[in-house]
Amino acid sequence: MRLKLTLAAMLASVAIPAAAADMVFTSWGGTTQDAQAAAWIEPFSAESGVSVLQDGPTDYGKIKAMVEAGNVSWDVVDVEGDYAALAGPAGLLEPLDFTVIDKSKLDPRFVTDYSVGSFYYSFVIGCNKDAAGECPKTWAELFDTATFPGKRTFYKWSAPGVIEAALLADGVAPADLYPLDLDRAFKKLDTIKGDIIWWSSGAQSQQMLASAETPFGSFWNGRLTALADSGVTVETSWDQNITAADSLVVPKGAKNKAEAMKFIALATSAKPQAEMAVATGYAPINLDAPAEMDPAIRATLPDQQAATQINADMTYWAAHRDEIGSRWYAWQAQ
Amino acid sequence: MSASTAPAAPIPAPAGRTEPSGLAYIVPALLLVLAFFALPVAALLLRSVTEPTLGLHNYAELFGTTTYLKIFLNTFVVSALVTLISVVVGFPVAWMLAIMPRRWSQVIFAILILSMWTNLLARTYAWMVLLQRTGVINKTLMGLGIIDQPLELVNNLTGVTIGMTYIMLPFVILPLTGIIRVIDPAILQAASLCGATRAQSLRRVLVPLAMPGILSGALMVFVMSLGYFVTPALLGGTANMMLAELIAQFVQSLVNWGMGAAAAFILLVITLGLYALQLRLFGTRRMGGA
Repeated sequence: MRLKLTLAAMLASVAIPAAAADMVFTSWGGTTQDAQAAAWIEPFSAESGVSVLQDGPTDYGKIKAMVEAGNVSWDVVDVEGDYAALAGPAGLLEPLDFTVIDKSKLDPRFVTDYSVGSFYYSFVIGCNKDAAGECPKTWAELFDTATFPGKRTFYKWSAPGVIEAALLADGVAPADLYPLDLDRAFKKLDTIKGDIIWWSSGAQSQQMLASAETPFGSFWNGRLTALADSGVTVETSWDQNITAADSLVVPKGAKNKAEAMKFIALATSAKPQAEMAVATGYAPINLDAPAEMDPAIRATLPDQQAATQINADMTYWAAHRDEIGSRWYAWQAQ
Repeated sequence: MSASTAPAAPIPAPAGRTEPSGLAYIVPALLLVLAFFALPVAALLLRSVTEPTLGLHNYAELFGTTTYLKIFLNTFVVSALVTLISVVVGFPVAWMLAIMPRRWSQVIFAILILSMWTNLLARTYAWMVLLQRTGVINKTLMGLGIIDQPLELVNNLTGVTIGMTYIMLPFVILPLTGIIRVIDPAILQAASLCGATRAQSLRRVLVPLAMPGILSGALMVFVMSLGYFVTPALLGGTANMMLAELIAQFVQSLVNWGMGAAAAFILLVITLGLYALQLRLFGTRRMGGA
């Protein structure tokens, strides 16, 4: 036993200097985090010599617990944009160091004092053409169970996307979307409630569309790109696609703040952003990134669909996140 | 290394006999329970009455909102259904295992145990694929012409019940087999010699003798079901949410720890209450079955 303890102590003393240089990056797992690892972590480690540990999935309860306990083991976290907008002013995040991170090249829609965009995506209408035959092209059609009978799938969690889609389907003009008319949105959602199967993760949404469990629904665009690449006949309608972004943040009290800032600086620079976009089908948030990309791939990204695009209002969502969330989950459970 | 940090579970002293030295043996276990259970639970309780402000409003909201009451009710309904079906299906299996030749029963036990060792998530996903509208079961039934519309087997109460019953069955079968095995077959012979039909000896002899095993297995399944998360989250729809999902939602999605803590504490009180009931009904000696 004594020998073992001594060995353990020796190992620990050897490990500490290496551990001090480590930092932890946390994201949502799956193909998205794999792409982030390849596009961001690998070049960062190669360039700086800092080894990056990965963790996941992102968990807002955990961030709060870590910050409150003063023991923050995550240094950079990929979160949803509306959460970033809320958590920063609530004291859960470190302000970003914009002397290290060059924000002049970043899409200003996704920059706050506490966060920068990670990538941005659109909620689009996806359809398994072989299974459905006829595909819904607009939100109104996706909500029309008479013309398009059968199950449809939507994002399960309270987040920008579904409520907007319901209001657009009900005929609200994009310019009048905010502040959201929740009563009207839930009334519209009630009309198709029995026909909704919720997806709770990107992988699940792909499985449901590929198996035709739900022949159509609302999806993250990148997941449809990946599905089409795998041989499923996917039809994507970009009509009134609703954009939202993920953000990179540093939890308050993160142990490796300096490394975290350098990591974010690299992750949001042009080339890593371009590589991430190519791998995932999500759009880059660095304005110079498109120049680094193959034009054919670039044409499939959300930033090329600006004509009928609707930007989810992150400031509105940050201010009303709790209120909408409580109501959303209560409505789902009814 | 592990011996110095995690003390082995103490061997309980036989009931009815007091051994003064026994107390010293439990101290490490008590310390462990204190550090890893009692303190966190106390912290949880504290959060439930202090966040966001001091008072019982979190509990008032949980008991005063129909949506939450519905979730409590649904949790009980699902747990009761799963318990009932587990016992009804598990009893004959346990009986068969108890009376069949050892060599065969060992094979079946091995299958049961292997299934318990397989990752819970993988098993639940497998049910998802089997039960969905375009899944194997519906496709087969439609192919045979038995149904023309796919059955709704998942994302509802049916899916949760099937998935959870499957997972809970071993917890009924294993202890019950042990109990039935020790029943003397001569008693059943005696019953039939006295003119009891097969149904009568089952109902009036075997079941009453196995009742302690049935009840303790049932209570265990019921209590485990009350706090189940993964299976209801994956196989159930949002309309039949269970308590554990509500707690996860409060903590992770709404970041409302006060409400999450209150719901968790209610679940704990119910569970401990049921455990006390079990102790009262069966004492400590008869528990554990096999």
